[in-house]
Amino acid sequence: MVDAFAYVPAVVLLPFFSFLVALGAGKYLPKGGAFGGIAATAGSFLLSLWIATAVAGGRAYNETLYTWAAGDQFELTFGALIDPLSALMLVIVTLVALLVHVFSLGYMNDEGETGLPRYYAGLGLFTASMLGFVVADNLLMAFMFFELVGLCSYLLIGFHFREPGPPSAAKKAFLVTRFGDYFFLVGVVAVFATFGTAAFAGEGSFPALAEAALAGSGDVWTPGGLELQTWLTVVGLLVLGGVVGKSAQFPLHTWLPDAMEGPTPVSALIHAATMVAAGVYLVARMYGFYVLTPTTLAVIAFIGGFTALFAATMGVVKDELKQVLAYSTISQYGYMMLALGAGGYVAAVFHLTTHAFFKALLFLGAGSVIIAMHHNEDMWDMGGLKAKMPVTYYTFLAGSLALAGIFPFAGFWSKDEILYEALVHGLNEPLLLGGYLMGLLAVPVTAFYTFRMVFLTFHGEPRSATARDPEPVRWNVKGPLSVLGTLAVVTGFINMVPVQKVLGLEGIDYLHRWLDNEWGGIEGLSSHHYADLGPYSSGYIAGGEVPTVLVGAAVSLGLALAGLGLAWRLYNVASPTEHTAKLGGIKDVLYNNYYLDELQVWIAYRTEDVAGGADTFDQGIIDGVVNGVSSVSLLGGSRVRRIQTGLVTQYAAMLTLGLIALLVLLGVNGGWFL
Amino acid sequence: MVPAQWYLILAAGIFCIGLFGVLTRSDALYFLMSVELMMNAANVNFVAFSLYYGDLTGQVFALFVIALAAAEVAIGIGIILVLYRNFGDIDVTVPTEMRW
Repeated sequence: MVDAFAYVPAVVLLPFFSFLVALGAGKYLPKGGAFGGIAATAGSFLLSLWIATAVAGGRAYNETLYTWAAGDQFELTFGALIDPLSALMLVIVTLVALLVHVFSLGYMNDEGETGLPRYYAGLGLFTASMLGFVVADNLLMAFMFFELVGLCSYLLIGFHFREPGPPSAAKKAFLVTRFGDYFFLVGVVAVFATFGTAAFAGEGSFPALAEAALAGSGDVWTPGGLELQTWLTVVGLLVLGGVVGKSAQFPLHTWLPDAMEGPTPVSALIHAATMVAAGVYLVARMYGFYVLTPTTLAVIAFIGGFTALFAATMGVVKDELKQVLAYSTISQYGYMMLALGAGGYVAAVFHLTTHAFFKALLFLGAGSVIIAMHHNEDMWDMGGLKAKMPVTYYTFLAGSLALAGIFPFAGFWSKDEILYEALVHGLNEPLLLGGYLMGLLAVPVTAFYTFRMVFLTFHGEPRSATARDPEPVRWNVKGPLSVLGTLAVVTGFINMVPVQKVLGLEGIDYLHRWLDNEWGGIEGLSSHHYADLGPYSSGYIAGGEVPTVLVGAAVSLGLALAGLGLAWRLYNVASPTEHTAKLGGIKDVLYNNYYLDELQVWIAYRTEDVAGGADTFDQGIIDGVVNGVSSVSLLGGSRVRRIQTGLVTQYAAMLTLGLIALLVLLGVNGGWFL
Repeated sequence: MVPAQWYLILAAGIFCIGLFGVLTRSDALYFLMSVELMMNAANVNFVAFSLYYGDLTGQVFALFVIALAAAEVAIGIGIILVLYRNFGDIDVTVPTEMRW
């Protein structure tokens, strides 16, 4: 029997080959290289399933595959780490990437876009970088692929580079995430300096070393005699900088709504499975490190809860379909961060899974609507599409119900578990309770804007000529939608913790058991290990665990239904009007994203001198040294070459002089003249 | 027996004459002859030391050098011929194209 883990590099390399093929030979291939991408991601998907089966068979994989730099203190390596978490993520990423590739046939090829080889090359590299990031076995490798993911998002968001918007949005995405990654890089260096390794798993991994050092054994470096706990918190927060940038958390979320300038399938890929998911996945990957520092956890939880509410409020007033979805993404990743900060490791991974499916579904559904509407994204020009495009409508509805957290769709189970974890752990932690309350408040807002979007798009009377006669979509759009629609309905059933707790059933919380290494995994990377290390204790309201579960679920479901009902009342009419005008001044604030973009521009102008100074230093000192060395050699060379006169007699004379000089030197050394 | 240093002095003298020729003359044929002198100064040294140490290796080397000198003359005359064809002269100070 061939070992499944031997094919781990192939999972990453297949999309990379499709990138090379699309780049080199895309214009000679049918459909601009699309089939290569589909074949590659399908292959990766099958291999990932096989690898997941192997993990389910009780095995795991943690190997260094290539050492690219070795020193006295530490080695820099590439390796693969396959445990339940990364196996699950591999399946999600490859599945979504495969469906996005298929959907692109309908969205890009059938719409007659140009530059398709560049598009498919970008998709291939994007998928490959994300897969490399998922299997990374150390922080430095993760950082490198993290950066590659950022680069690919830049290339794909700016795909329509001839229009003014996309290049600017691409630059913004790149710069804002780079700002976070700067802290991440410092964090990686700090991890190396502190522990001498950046491995995620095993005896000598940095979470294990940090755990041992906090327990009093082992010796780690801290700068300037800083207390260990404080220093670990600093390192955790530094790495968190990259996470905040990539996962679009407050205050570095501003790039994500602009990233909607990219082609819609790319948005689906960015939001569901790759770029934005990378941040949350990184925290989950090194969760053994984060649970050691309660301050970092509290910060994560608070940022997450705040972002969840903050982004949701902005989604309420947007007019464009993809803008609403963009803010919902920020908000949902806020929930995942809240879960991670609240000690709900499984809940966060659960929401990451369900969100990947329903958000990919919503984006692809939006793409289908955009095809039908001839690339008009304004919801006020839509309406009444329900009858014209039933497949898109029903799948989009399933995704919306999941996003709004309506029982029994996928999003309900995961969001409920996040809120439950935040509640039971938050009863003793004020900061966490604040995060919980903000997360809870975001629930009705989410339901409201989601169904405002659904009603405006699909219900009522058509409000434009295109909406009366939309362009039909083909199988390559309906196929991915159907797959994801089914998943958005059923994914929640892999982890029905409330049902288990209330009915007293055993063992239907499959995701909990999966992440708890019940089938297979790596020692020290299991959810109960994290729970043991974590700083939280549980508290219950209404006298016990079961009532807490019931009250929590009832409150969040009730709030979601309230939001849905309000949207129904306001927008599910034949010709809805803009009720947002009633909000008055608040509407302008929300519509302009709390003026945060303006604030960032203002900060950028205020700090212009710093940037100018850095530029002068770079041009003058750094480049000056390099240019100085080269001009010295250049000048010296131009002088010395004058002895090359072309006169053979002079060469002979120089040879003779050299011989005499050598003889005199040897003579002096030998003592002739003494 | 003649002491070894006499041979060495003779060889040094021949070598210096050859060197003087190379440095002062500009005619390529004089060049060739001067080089021949320097090489034979070396041959004298080889043979002298061979005699001094009672070892035949030096004499064998001298034979090799003679063969080498024959080859060198053939190439040298070839170069001089080409020089004459291209510049109409065999003055080595005339062709100075190979310079900076």
